[in-house]
Amino acid sequence: MAISAEDYAAILAASTAPEAVASIDTPAPPAPGENAPALASGADTAPAQSQPAANAAPPPDPVPSPPEPVSAPAEVADTAPEVAPPAEDMAVLLPQVSPRPQPRPAPRVAPEPVAPSEPDVRVDDVARPEVAPDAGAVVEETPQEATAPEEAATEIVTEAERPRDPAPTASPRPRARPAAARPAPAPTPAPPTETATAPRPETPRDTPPATDRSAVSDALAAALGQGTPTPERPAGPPLTAGEKDALRVAVQRCWNVGSLSSEALATTVVVTVRMFETSKPDISSIRMLSHSGGSATAAQQAYEAARRAIIRCGNDGFSLPPEKFGQWRDIEMTFNPERMRIK
Amino acid sequence: MMRSLLTLLAALMIWAVPAMAQQGGPLRLEITEGVIEPMPVAVPDFVADTPAAQELARNIARVIAADLTGTGLFREIPAAAHISRITSFESPVQFSDWRAINAQALVTGAVNVDGAGRVIARFRIHDVFAGQELGQGQQLVGDRDGWRRIAHKVADQVYARITGEGGYFDSRVVFVSESGPKDQRAKRLAIMDYDGANVQFLTDESSIVIAPRFSPTGDRVLYTSYETGFPHIYLLDVTSMGRRALPTLEGTMAFAPRFSPDGRTVLYSLSQGGNTDLYSMDILSGASTRLTTAPSIETAPSYSPDGRQIVFESDRSGTPQLYVMDAGGGEARRISFGAGRYGTPVWSPRGDLVAFTKQSKGRFHIGVMRVDGSEERLLTASFLDEGPTWAPNGRVIMFTRETQGAQGEARLYSVDITGRNLRQVATPGGASDPSWGPLQN
Repeated sequence: MAISAEDYAAILAASTAPEAVASIDTPAPPAPGENAPALASGADTAPAQSQPAANAAPPPDPVPSPPEPVSAPAEVADTAPEVAPPAEDMAVLLPQVSPRPQPRPAPRVAPEPVAPSEPDVRVDDVARPEVAPDAGAVVEETPQEATAPEEAATEIVTEAERPRDPAPTASPRPRARPAAARPAPAPTPAPPTETATAPRPETPRDTPPATDRSAVSDALAAALGQGTPTPERPAGPPLTAGEKDALRVAVQRCWNVGSLSSEALATTVVVTVRMFETSKPDISSIRMLSHSGGSATAAQQAYEAARRAIIRCGNDGFSLPPEKFGQWRDIEMTFNPERMRIK
Repeated sequence: MMRSLLTLLAALMIWAVPAMAQQGGPLRLEITEGVIEPMPVAVPDFVADTPAAQELARNIARVIAADLTGTGLFREIPAAAHISRITSFESPVQFSDWRAINAQALVTGAVNVDGAGRVIARFRIHDVFAGQELGQGQQLVGDRDGWRRIAHKVADQVYARITGEGGYFDSRVVFVSESGPKDQRAKRLAIMDYDGANVQFLTDESSIVIAPRFSPTGDRVLYTSYETGFPHIYLLDVTSMGRRALPTLEGTMAFAPRFSPDGRTVLYSLSQGGNTDLYSMDILSGASTRLTTAPSIETAPSYSPDGRQIVFESDRSGTPQLYVMDAGGGEARRISFGAGRYGTPVWSPRGDLVAFTKQSKGRFHIGVMRVDGSEERLLTASFLDEGPTWAPNGRVIMFTRETQGAQGEARLYSVDITGRNLRQVATPGGASDPSWGPLQN
C-alpha cells in the first residue's frame, strides 16, 4: 500500500516532534497553510530564568600547575616527557595497563595476611620492638630481639590466578605527540621471608603437679562420702567474649591443616582438654570426644592436628584470667575445617 | 601432727572447692580458622647397624626427606639445627630436644645389611609434641640395588600416617624422552622413578612415539607409534620388552589409547574417512566396539575408576569441550562450559575430579573440575601446558610444559591439586607425555 507525500510528511513530523505523544489524542492535524497558531510558539525562547548565570562568563581557569613527575601516570602530561620522540615507524613498548601489585608470595595461609618482616627478625605470634641495652645507661629492661608474626597470605593463589608479568604484550605506534608519561615503576615484590630458621627457645614442658587438684578433690569427696564432686558455685565470673576470642585466636594460630588429607579436611572433631592453673594444657588429658564428616582414619588425622595445635600454642600458657580458672579448667574445642577447605 | 594434717586438709578444701565449680559444663569454643603451611619434620640419618650400612643409612634418610619435602606438605629441619643425635634406634627419643627446634614429626630408623647382601631398614614415626609414637615401628627388606625403593616405601608410610591419604613415592612414570633440535626432534619411550631417578629407555629413536599409557598394574604400556607412517597402537611389556600392535582396520589411524581400570580393555580413537570416533577393544580377542557415531571429532577418552563412565573430548558443540558418557556408549553430557578450549581429560584415581588441559586467551592451563563440571580451578598457566596425569593417590598432577621459541624445550612438571608446589621433575633431557603408574608392590 502506497502513501501520499503529505501522509509521509505528517508521519515524519509526528515521529520527530517532541509533542508526538500528546498529539495522539488530538483530531487530524491541520492541513499545511492553515492558521497554525502553534507555529508562533516556534519562536519561543527559553525563559531567562531557565538559564541561570549562563551569560556570566566564568573566570578563566587558573593554569594548572604541572604534576609532579613521580605522580600517578597521566594520559597527557603538561610537560614533555624526557623520553625523546621515537622515529616515525618505531614501535614503542608501553604497558597496556598499569601493573597490578603482585600477590603476596607467602607460602603460609592464615586468617590474617601478614606482611613480610625484616630478614633478621625472629618469627613470633606477636610483633615486639627490639630492646637492646643502651650504652652508658642503667639498663632495667631485659634485652629482647625484635619479633614479628610470620608472613602470611589469606588464600592459596595458583599460578593461573597470579597476574601475568607486567611486560607489554603489544607494541602500539607512538602518538602524534608524546602524550604518555613515564609509567610508574612496577612494585617489586619483597622476597619471602625465610620462616624456618629461628627455632623457638625451649620452654621446659610442664609436668603435672604432684598433687593434682582434681585428684585432691576426688580424695576429699571420697573421704567425706560425697562421691564425685559436683559444681556448686561459680568460680569467678564467666569469660568475656574478648577473653574467649583471645583463646580461640591463640589456638588457631597453631592449627596447621596444610598436611591433612582432603577427607580429614572435611572432618570436624570435638576435642576436650583439662587445663592447669598455669593456663597450660594437661597434655595427657587431651581426648577426642566426637567427630563428624569423615571416616575414623580421617578423624584420627584431624584430631592429631588439633592436638598439636593445643599443645604447641599452649606450651607457653594461654592468655587466660587466673581468677576465672574455674571457668576454663575444662575446655571443649570444636575444630571445624570447612572454611580451610576453600582457601 | 594431727593438728597439722587437719590444717592442711582444711586448706586443701578451701583451695579445691572453687576448682570443682565450673557451672554450665566446660568452656566451649569453635575453631574455624587455621593456617596452611608445611609441617616441620626432622629426618636424622638412620642408624647404621653395621659399617657396611653407613652410606645406605645416610642415603635412605636423604631420599625420605626429599620425598616428604617434595610434596610441599612438609618442611625438613636441617641436621645442623638438631640438638639430639639419634645414636641408637632402641633408645628413647628426647622429645624436648625436638620440640625445641619446632619439629612436629620425627622419623628415626636403622639400616642393616645381612650376610646375603639384603638391606633391612627399620623405622618409627613420632609425634613430637604429643610425645608419642605414631603407629607401630616397621621393617622393610630389599636388595641393595633397590635401596631407593626402600626409602620411597618408608616415605609413603610416613606420608600416609601423617596426612591420612596414600603416598605416591614408590611409583614410576613412563614418558617420551626428547632430544635434538625442535624441527628434528627424536622421541623414544622411557621409564623412571617418580622423582626422575633410574631412567630406562624402552624404545629407540628410529620412529616417533607419543602418548604412552601405563596399565593399572604397571607392567604394560600402551603407546602410539608412527613407524608405519600411520599412527598405530602398540602394547609393550615393560619387563620382557616384548611388544605387539593392536589390530586395527587398514587405512585407519588409531591413537590416544588408555587402559580400563581392570586392564582388559583399551579405549582409543579411530580416524576413518575423515571422522574420528571412540572405540573400545578387548585386548585378548582384539574385538573392537564403536562407542560414538557423531560426525565430530571424539578423542582422548579416559575411564572413571570404577570403569562405568568415560570422559572424553569432542568438538560437537563447535569447540573442543569435555563430555561424560557411559562406558558402553550412549548419550553424552557436556561438563565443561568455561570460555576456551578443553582437552585431554583424565579421571582422578579418587573419582572425584577430572584433570584437563585448557586453552584460553592464548595461554595453556592445567586445571581440575568436579566430574559434573562444577568447581573448575586452573592450576597453572604458561605458553604451553598439556597432558595431565594423576599420581596414584589423586593428590598430585604431572604434565608437560613447553617453552616458547626455536630453543623451546618440553619438560615435566608436577603440581598439587590445590595449585601449590609447582615443581619441575628432574629428567636427563627434554621430556613430554607423562603417564604416572600405580604404586609398586
